[in-house]
Amino acid sequence: MPKNQPNQRSNPKKGGAPQPAPNRSPAGRKYAQRQATKQQAALAARRARNRQVGIASVVLVLVIVVTLVVIKVAGGGGSSNGSVSSPAAGTPIPTSITTKLTSIPLSTLVAAPTTGISTSPQAIKDPRLTASGKPDLLYIGAEFCPICATERWAMYVALSKFGTFSPQPGRIHSAVRDGDIATLTFYKTTYTSPYFTFTPVETTTNQPDGNFYVTLQTPTAAQQKLWNAHSANSIPWVDFGGRAELTSAQYDPAQLEGVSFNNIASDIGNNSTAVGADVDASAKVLIQTICSTLSTNKPAAVCSAVGNG
Amino acid sequence: MAKGPKPLWPGLVGTLSSMVGLGVAGYLTYEHYTGSSSLACSTRGIVNCLEVTTSTYSKVAGVPVAVLGLIFFVVMFILQLPAMWNRPGSAIRRVRMTWAVIGLGTVVYLLYTELFKIDAICLWCTAVHVLTFVVFVSTVLATVSTFPLDDDLDMAHLEEAT
Repeated sequence: MPKNQPNQRSNPKKGGAPQPAPNRSPAGRKYAQRQATKQQAALAARRARNRQVGIASVVLVLVIVVTLVVIKVAGGGGSSNGSVSSPAAGTPIPTSITTKLTSIPLSTLVAAPTTGISTSPQAIKDPRLTASGKPDLLYIGAEFCPICATERWAMYVALSKFGTFSPQPGRIHSAVRDGDIATLTFYKTTYTSPYFTFTPVETTTNQPDGNFYVTLQTPTAAQQKLWNAHSANSIPWVDFGGRAELTSAQYDPAQLEGVSFNNIASDIGNNSTAVGADVDASAKVLIQTICSTLSTNKPAAVCSAVGNG
Repeated sequence: MAKGPKPLWPGLVGTLSSMVGLGVAGYLTYEHYTGSSSLACSTRGIVNCLEVTTSTYSKVAGVPVAVLGLIFFVVMFILQLPAMWNRPGSAIRRVRMTWAVIGLGTVVYLLYTELFKIDAICLWCTAVHVLTFVVFVSTVLATVSTFPLDDDLDMAHLEEAT
């Protein structure tokens, strides 16, 4: 279009009224038509190209989403707790998690609602159970056992208020065919406390062996005798120095089914979550029991904070 | 020159999807601030809304993801109104497209965290993700099929002519 000719069309952006068509020579009209045809073709080509880009971007998004799902389904980042069995001593737990679990404030444990607690340690009157001259906390469980898996979380939180684990427990899960509950194991750990000793006995791994599981640790004859007398060899069994016993998990193991290790660890200390409330409340009861049966209410800061229950 | 297509469906699809998304995001926001105590969803296994909505990933820079979703759909609802689609000029289209891309990028990130960090899927969140995707698709297809606008071309034509 010649530069000195006014535009014959309206422009909504300018808000102008339609301009009257100018008088043009036949050559001028042909030129304008050719220009218009070229512009239409260019516009159509750009729109077609943009449409291709748009469709490609949608396809790309779909590919990304499908890839994520496929990786997940193929086990690339599983919610399942890993393979059928885990190493007996477990896999290392990140320090950030153990640090978090060992430093849950006592005030949080005390404030935990107890609505999910279904059982608690019961008093027994045995001869004093000791080891190395100190009262002994004897735990007999197994790595396949979902109830043991459930209680271990609370035990770890509670025991951390009286001493330290070194090495720290490893990460395992109960048997895949038995809840597949993410947890930690006391196998191959050493616990040190100025107040009492802790003797964990994990009787089996979580690796199936016929109708049962591969043997891991065997209780001593004395432990076996106590265990059999009190709970007919059922697990878990926890003996608080001959003064109290716990024969099951304090809360429902089903709470932990399908929940990842990291999320259980994340929930602990958060009483607004069901898992956190149950573990925190269980830990508080364990601390109260340890204070009254094993540590003679020491350390005072811990035992006075949780009270007598 | 023939006017380019100005289809009606993008506005309808976008407005409707954004309205539904607004409702779901509003519900999730309500549940977030009421302790998720009445969240209608499974709490066992891979489908576990509570696991997701109370996870450490449920906030970004201290802001609940549910609130971010609500803000996203409020803005998107306005951008998707048919009147907005009929506005001349490409500025509003660029803003809408950018907003849709931001929304979808967030969805991909949240899907990743659900699958690989939280290990749980929240069905309500998935509904929001699907709606965001629908809005993205309709926005992309409608935008690219009508872009550049006739308006833009007219301006070029005018400038060339003068």
